[in-house]
Amino acid sequence: MPTTSSSAASSSSSSSSSSSGNRQADVFSRLASSDPEVKLKALREVKNQIIGNRTKKLSFLKLGAIPAIASALSDADDSDKCNNILVQSAAALGSFACGFEAGVQAVLDAGVFPHLLRLLTNPDEKVVDAGARSLRMIFQSNQAPNYDFLQEKNMEFLFSLLNSNNENVSGLGASIIAHACGTSIEQQVLLEAGVLEKLVILLDGSLSQREACLESLATVLKNNPVAVSDFVGFESGRYFDSVTELTKDRYPRTRLLSCLFLVVIYNTSPSYFLNMGTKLRLIKTLLELLNDPGQSGDDAALVFSCLIADKEDLQKLAYEANAIKNIVDILKTGSELQPKRLQGLFLSLAELCSKLEDCRCSFLSLEVLDLMIDALRHKSADVRTAACICFRNAARSVKNLSAGRFTSDRIMLPLVQLLHDPSSSVQVAVIGALSNIVLDFSSPKSRFIEYGGLKQLIELSKSMDPNTRCSALRALRNLMFLADNKRKELFYSDIKAQGFASLISDPEPPVQEQALALLRNLVDGCISSIEFVFDGDGLILDAIGRQLRKDPQAQMAIQGMYVLTNVASGTELHKEVVMQQLFPQEKPGSENFVLKFLQSDESQLRSATVWTIINLTSPSSIGAFDRHVKLRNAGIIPQLKNMVNDACLDVKIRIRTVLGQSMSFGEN
Amino acid sequence: MPVRVVESNTPAQVSGTDPGIRSPLQPSSLLGAGQAFSGTQNVSNQQKEEAWRVNVQIQGIDLEHGYLCGTMEALNVPMADTPVITFWEGEIVDGKNYTFYTGKWEATREDDMRHWSKFPSFSPLQGQVESDGGRQLDLNNYPYIFMRWKEQYFVNVGTDCGLTIAGFYYVCFSCSDGSISGFYYDPNSSPFQKLELKTVNEGRSGFSFSSYELQ
Repeated sequence: MPTTSSSAASSSSSSSSSSSGNRQADVFSRLASSDPEVKLKALREVKNQIIGNRTKKLSFLKLGAIPAIASALSDADDSDKCNNILVQSAAALGSFACGFEAGVQAVLDAGVFPHLLRLLTNPDEKVVDAGARSLRMIFQSNQAPNYDFLQEKNMEFLFSLLNSNNENVSGLGASIIAHACGTSIEQQVLLEAGVLEKLVILLDGSLSQREACLESLATVLKNNPVAVSDFVGFESGRYFDSVTELTKDRYPRTRLLSCLFLVVIYNTSPSYFLNMGTKLRLIKTLLELLNDPGQSGDDAALVFSCLIADKEDLQKLAYEANAIKNIVDILKTGSELQPKRLQGLFLSLAELCSKLEDCRCSFLSLEVLDLMIDALRHKSADVRTAACICFRNAARSVKNLSAGRFTSDRIMLPLVQLLHDPSSSVQVAVIGALSNIVLDFSSPKSRFIEYGGLKQLIELSKSMDPNTRCSALRALRNLMFLADNKRKELFYSDIKAQGFASLISDPEPPVQEQALALLRNLVDGCISSIEFVFDGDGLILDAIGRQLRKDPQAQMAIQGMYVLTNVASGTELHKEVVMQQLFPQEKPGSENFVLKFLQSDESQLRSATVWTIINLTSPSSIGAFDRHVKLRNAGIIPQLKNMVNDACLDVKIRIRTVLGQSMSFGEN
Repeated sequence: MPVRVVESNTPAQVSGTDPGIRSPLQPSSLLGAGQAFSGTQNVSNQQKEEAWRVNVQIQGIDLEHGYLCGTMEALNVPMADTPVITFWEGEIVDGKNYTFYTGKWEATREDDMRHWSKFPSFSPLQGQVESDGGRQLDLNNYPYIFMRWKEQYFVNVGTDCGLTIAGFYYVCFSCSDGSISGFYYDPNSSPFQKLELKTVNEGRSGFSFSSYELQ
């Protein structure tokens, strides 16, 4: 602990910074003083300086103020004369913990937790208040200690807090629930102990009780439809109506927390929100809260994104309520926004663009690319991730992809660079964005390839993590969609037959599926592209045949059959090679996978299989009749005859094509 | 996954008990992203006969929202030195997202009926469409898909190229062979310019399919 002699803090000091530094250093010695008055004054001084001042909090923290205050707290006994010290030290510690994660960590590291708990049973109400408020600050942070709800004595203690007449104490009880209850088992234990009845009473209490109650109710009801139904049913919906009214409260934090609660209800049991007016009010309240400069505004953005996630009807309502422009205007204000708010705003934009083309076009028309590019370079990984997700969803607009909106250097380069980002969530998100952006439709020249993106994706397709392999292959598949020969050659030269065969035989079916879809695109286009599958002595085709014979998942089989379809649209040689895969010599009599696929429940698989047969028996080719005979003898043509009334129109039409082709060979 | 429905030879009726809940159309293999079509557009007027060669490529299709888009390339256009490429967006008549009535682009209901009735495959549906807009029709099991295509912008030439994209096409797609016919509608252009396209197989002996997956 830094110390200094008292004479150094005299008026002879020359600069204001050195004198404030001296005062700071001096306060430590006074905190350690045995004179309670001196100690008290020092505590008050620290508390008054740090309240609402993050810079001061950091500065005092670095000087070791927290252990010093912790000692003051633990050394004070419970006698009356120490009460002021207890109050001020608790208040100072609470202030350090308020909205300052490093402060919370330091407070917990200093071991004050049991001492603060002790204060809750102090006869002096002011001491109890200070202890409760301080503990509440700790429980509101991400560093909140675990609370074992499954232990009976912990539950008794918790309920004693909830039952207290002291609003800070009951509020603390609610805060503990709000922030420490994490699993559905804990939720259930709390519900069975009757926590709902205790919490709803707090809705009629003071501001701080209401806020604590809203947060804790949201935690306890989340994803629990039975609990939601119980809550809504309480006193014929009175409490539910109260919460809805609180969305119009004059305090922003109350409005935010009531919205958060309603979003939890909506996501758990949407049937309570059939009324369009309620949905719209919720959306508008949250949009308005986005403009709040404080923590409520920071949190509102994330809550809004949770509300509209996966819900097209709400996204439409929000779009019509001008959400996109409102959010973009906030982003464009130029002031430094908190990372949490930025993350929430970009995630909200991402959700708005997720399903509706109008939203995407509207968003992209607002000159937002610079904003998004800046966010890709933000120091917070959460912001970078959110910006990538926003890019990904905006790039679902084929119209804008086709217009080349995303292919400029200033977009492509930072995105490709993020493939090397240290954060795995950023990497995953950027692969998703690039997956869409590489569908550039417009030009054969690709900045993405120039910046090394192709090589990077090929590397990622060999990752230990199957999700990464799958995502990288999906991006490669999209990159090879309608690609010209030059691009295909460039890609193939890096992967080769062995590489492809390995991917097709990957242990994970989704990886196999993407590898086959990629191959399908490779062999589409001009007829010479089919030659790729012949490289390496047919290694690739053999791998496909092997996988198709292994009773594969439908999605993988669909892609495999489309590879065979595409190859079978080539020359006689190509068609014969496909026949060899359908009827391998070394396995006569084994159940033919073509027959199995034709009987699949998955219509797309039936369709893909029929297309292979259409191409094999296309009358314009010389060997068509012989292949037709072989297919007939294998029971495939008869199977198709049984399927003339297939439930799927597309399958039915393709079968009629095959049978029409059969008739041209003189079949009845 | 499509629901198994009972086969019927005539254009089926949707059950009258649930008129409000329509589903999007099922996928049709030849109307998919990456599919290419080639043919002509007849641009004749009273002065002379003329036809442009046209290539169309589908770039995206979203059946859930009845939307598709792609490019159209017109060759041997007299006013242009190069082929003229436009980007278009389409509305699929599925009874859920869009009906046979355009409701915009200066096309009246009479214009709509005049154009749709030029497609032979529309005649079995005509009576129903005239009486209640085709509300009861089960287009999901009909082997033709009706659309409107509207060009949005020129891809490779300026708007001063002397060509117009003010109108739109009434389009009929045949699910069985992928052939497309269409009629261009623009109150300020020659009426009923006919578009006729067939699938393109790039020198292959059969059909080939590519695909992408948006994340």
